[in-house]
This record gives sequence, structure tokens and C-alpha cells, in this order.
Amino acid sequence: MSSRRARQSSSSSGSSRISDDQIIELVSKLRQFLPEIRDNRRSNKASASKVLQETCNYIRNLHREVDDLSERLSQLLSTIDADSPEAAIIRSLI
Amino acid sequence: MMTCSTSHRLKMRADKSLLRQKFLKKWVKLLQLYTSSEKLATVIERKKLIELSADVALASARGGTTRWSRALIASAFKDSHDKTPCCANGGERTLHESITRKITSKKVLQRIRGGASKEAQASSSNRIPASSIAKRLVKKRTKLLKKIVPGGESMDNVSLISETLDYIISLRAQIDVMRSLVYLSGHLDA
Repeated sequence: MSSRRARQSSSSSGSSRISDDQIIELVSKLRQFLPEIRDNRRSNKASASKVLQETCNYIRNLHREVDDLSERLSQLLSTIDADSPEAAIIRSLI
Repeated sequence: MMTCSTSHRLKMRADKSLLRQKFLKKWVKLLQLYTSSEKLATVIERKKLIELSADVALASARGGTTRWSRALIASAFKDSHDKTPCCANGGERTLHESITRKITSKKVLQRIRGGASKEAQASSSNRIPASSIAKRLVKKRTKLLKKIVPGGESMDNVSLISETLDYIISLRAQIDVMRSLVYLSGHLDA
């Protein structure tokens, strides 16, 4: 089944390329976050590049979401004030 | 992984909740440093504060165990003279100065968004084997990922993967907490 799994890819410049095993490990872990990534057995390189791209896109989406949430928070928390009711709620959460 | 999976999942859930708590604690601490600051008059400055302090809090919740978190904190300290690495208590004053400087500067703080990913140029010659195009793509996208993950530029590919995973997990925790806060704030009767 996975007999073509090469330990280190033929050009063993390990410092500049991710090996297939590492990609497989990454895929399995990322699968919980990115259900779209399917196990592409046709070419390990193609799936490696796809995984990298999906990962980059995913992280960028996360950044955008944090940015958006910060925007909304900055409007909602009109004063980051020790006496405001929001601060009291926050303190009670800790 | 038959019988282990349930306990594994439980552990992961506990870890997630622990991370969120750590993040929230540190974040609130940082935010409270600015409770009566007049420098935060504008929405933009408040947003900068929220975002910057959230990032620092997230990174410090890792306790210096990951490179991305150390890199993130280092960049927050970039302007300050004192090069002490961030820690829970002692570094707060210095961090305070550094954050204040960043927030009140004219430049808007931007996350590292990574350059627009340039897709591999369609090759006009048909003789280039698919495998070498794929190799180039992997290399390109690895570089892109390194730009997106804090401190990625100096990581080898092996650590890049584990750091990326940790970074993603942390970002999700950060988002969870911020979302809850938005929900709370929106539902408060002032």
C-alpha cells in the first residue's frame, strides 16, 4: 500500500525540503482542523504542497478572525475601565 | 488506539481549556494595565491594544516552550531597551512601555500576513517534469508558511511542522476566548 514511502527524498538536502513522513504526520494532525485534506496517494509531493497551502490559508483566516474580533471588542469595550461592568464580569471569570 | 482514544480526547479537551484559561488570565492582566489610560481615546488605539495584548498573552501562555511564542514576544519587545525575555511578572513594566509605544505610534500594527502567494508560473515548455514543478511548489509554500508563523524564518522544516500545529491550536484558543468575550459584552445591560 505505502511501499513507495521514501524515508528521505532522493535529493537528500534535508534542510530545504520536508520529507514525506513529516507530511503524512502533518496531514493526520491537521485533519482535525482541515477536513478537506484528503489522503492523496497519487503523489506525495502534490499533497505536500496542498497541505502547505491549506495550512497557510487556514492560519491567515485565523488571523483575520482575530483581527475582526479585536475590532468588535474595541467597539464594545468602549472604555477598558476598571469600574465598568464589563471589567467586573471579566474579573469574575478569573 | 481503541481504548486510548477516549482518554486521549479527554486530555486534549482539558489541555484546550487550560490553554484558554491561561490566555484569558494573562490577557486581562495586560488589559488592566491600561484601565485608566487616556492614550486610548480612539477605537483604533483600543483595537491595537486588544490585539497586541492578546498576542502577547497567547505567546506567554506557552511559557517559552515554543519558538513561535518566543519570537512573538521578542517582536513585541523590539522597541524596548531592556532585552529581558518576557515572563509572567517581572517583564510587565517593560512590556507596558513597549506596548504603549506601539499603540500610540502612527503606524498601524499589522500581523505578518505573508506575501500574496504567487502560484507557480505556468511553464510554457512542456518538458519540465511534474515532479520538479511540485518540488518547487513545496519549496515556495514552505517559505510562505515560514513567513506566517512567527519566528518561522529561522526554523528547520521539522520544527516548522510542530510549531505550526502548536501555533494553530493557540490561535484557536485565542479566538474562542475573544468570541466569548464579544458575546458577553454584547449581552450586558450597561
